[in-house]
Amino acid sequence: MKKSKGVKNGTLFVVLSAISAFFIIPLAWILSSSLRPAGSLYQYANPLTWRTFFPSAITLENYRKIFVDLLFGRALANSLIVSFATVILSVLVSSMAGFALAKFKFRGKNIVFAIVLITFMVPFESIVIPLYVLVRSMRLDNSFAALIVPGVGNGLAIFLFKQFFEEVPNELLEAARMDAASWLRIYAQILLPVCMPAIATVVVMTFMFQWNSLFWPLVATHSSAFEVVQVAIATNRVTEDTSWANLFSSAIAGSAPPVILFFFLQKYFIKGISGTGITG
Amino acid sequence: MFKSNKTAWLFVSPALAFLLIFKIWPIGVSFFESFMQTSFSGKRSFVGMENYSYLFLHDPTFWNSVKVTFVFSLLVNPITLFVSLTMALLLNEKHFFTKFFRTVFFLPTAISFSVVAVIFAVVLDPYNGLANSFLKLAGMNSQPFFGSANQSLWCVILLCVWRSAGYWMMYFLAGLQGIPQTIYEAAEMDGANGLHKLFRLTLPLLTRTTSFVLVSNTAFNFLMFAPVYIITQGGPRGSTNLLMYESYTSAFVIADMGRASTITSILLIVIMTFSFLELRLTKAKFEY
Repeated sequence: MKKSKGVKNGTLFVVLSAISAFFIIPLAWILSSSLRPAGSLYQYANPLTWRTFFPSAITLENYRKIFVDLLFGRALANSLIVSFATVILSVLVSSMAGFALAKFKFRGKNIVFAIVLITFMVPFESIVIPLYVLVRSMRLDNSFAALIVPGVGNGLAIFLFKQFFEEVPNELLEAARMDAASWLRIYAQILLPVCMPAIATVVVMTFMFQWNSLFWPLVATHSSAFEVVQVAIATNRVTEDTSWANLFSSAIAGSAPPVILFFFLQKYFIKGISGTGITG
Repeated sequence: MFKSNKTAWLFVSPALAFLLIFKIWPIGVSFFESFMQTSFSGKRSFVGMENYSYLFLHDPTFWNSVKVTFVFSLLVNPITLFVSLTMALLLNEKHFFTKFFRTVFFLPTAISFSVVAVIFAVVLDPYNGLANSFLKLAGMNSQPFFGSANQSLWCVILLCVWRSAGYWMMYFLAGLQGIPQTIYEAAEMDGANGLHKLFRLTLPLLTRTTSFVLVSNTAFNFLMFAPVYIITQGGPRGSTNLLMYESYTSAFVIADMGRASTITSILLIVIMTFSFLELRLTKAKFEY
């Protein structure tokens, strides 16, 4: 017996809605709290009523406060500068390295590839302390450069580009060589345009990584001119008048850019991962 | 394959420079520091394996952290894998609502771990938190959550699954899209039902994705830090004292850099070994 398609889709929809409740409910509560006049955090959480999720008086006062009084706009701008600079540099150097590893035989290739694999298995948090000592000795601490440069070299990004470029037929490159195109032109005009999905994947990954990092910016910068979003949010939590309203509104505002980026790049993102051979 | 040492090195060297300076060098320093000890007068000296032997032989706090970290890893990784794979399987077919749910499941990934930690701290508040309001509504008793040594680690696990499942779902979706539809059509001709198709076709064909997700997620979770730092500070009674947090307290609270570097070095070795073993066991072929 086969169930009709409508019943099947209906069941699927119900199951998916139930799962999304798990993800949405905490977020909905935070969002509605951020739109409420500042007051007791738990006022509407217990007991549970419809007011828990739908504020009776909506106000943007909490958002006005973080942007005007607490300069959250500057933190947003700083995070955007750091994230986009890292994304651009990382896409550039990783795709170049991926190209060399995918299409060339050269002396030392195995060593380079081993370094790439090691660095993508070593997560960032484990090297923060020696990294700080290094960055300080280069006199880069407390600057945008300190926030940007450690995120540029990325083993996983290089690996993704390498896998993607391997799918590009060699004949295409040979033909271009016949027409006396330089390798730089081949890379820029033939390879980059066909690997948009790989670029989108690396853009999303690198952007999220930089946008969400807290530990490194806390260690590497100390003047408020370089305060990034996560540091600003963390500071909102620890200021003397611990105001949940500030924390929640800055959490919501600070999460908007990656969500928007992902929404637009989601199609490429999935294609990019499947084009890299990681997934089978 | 083309042959040109000069061109290849020109293309590879910028990335290589970044990796060597900002990744390989700090890793090396971290290992080096694990063989050093700084005395109270600030004098540094080479102590060989002493940091390691002290940890292994005389440090019950360290062993408790090892235990907690392993229990945490053994639970959080399979659960995350199961949840993200299930969500991907449910969202693989195209419906008018697919894109909406994909975005919803991915939403938590866009929020930083520190913010997620704050959200969970208030949602799971033992007195007035949202979770207890729901329990009360269902006629159940309030729970202490992060306040209890028995529940605390489970709450950290829940938090990690909530944050990461949507991210790994994307990798499974990508893997599923790589499976050609014709394989299923052939199986249907042979009379395979839904469960057959799932266990005989889909899951075996997803092996490479699964091993990639497992390896990356394991490495990531070994270094879990923010929720412990923000919510529990390792407690109650050491029940959430993950190794990364123990390393942090060594470095920044009791200023014992030798001990901190030793713990980080052990973590690095364990992560590398785990990644290697998992890749071997699942026979993932990362071709050169």
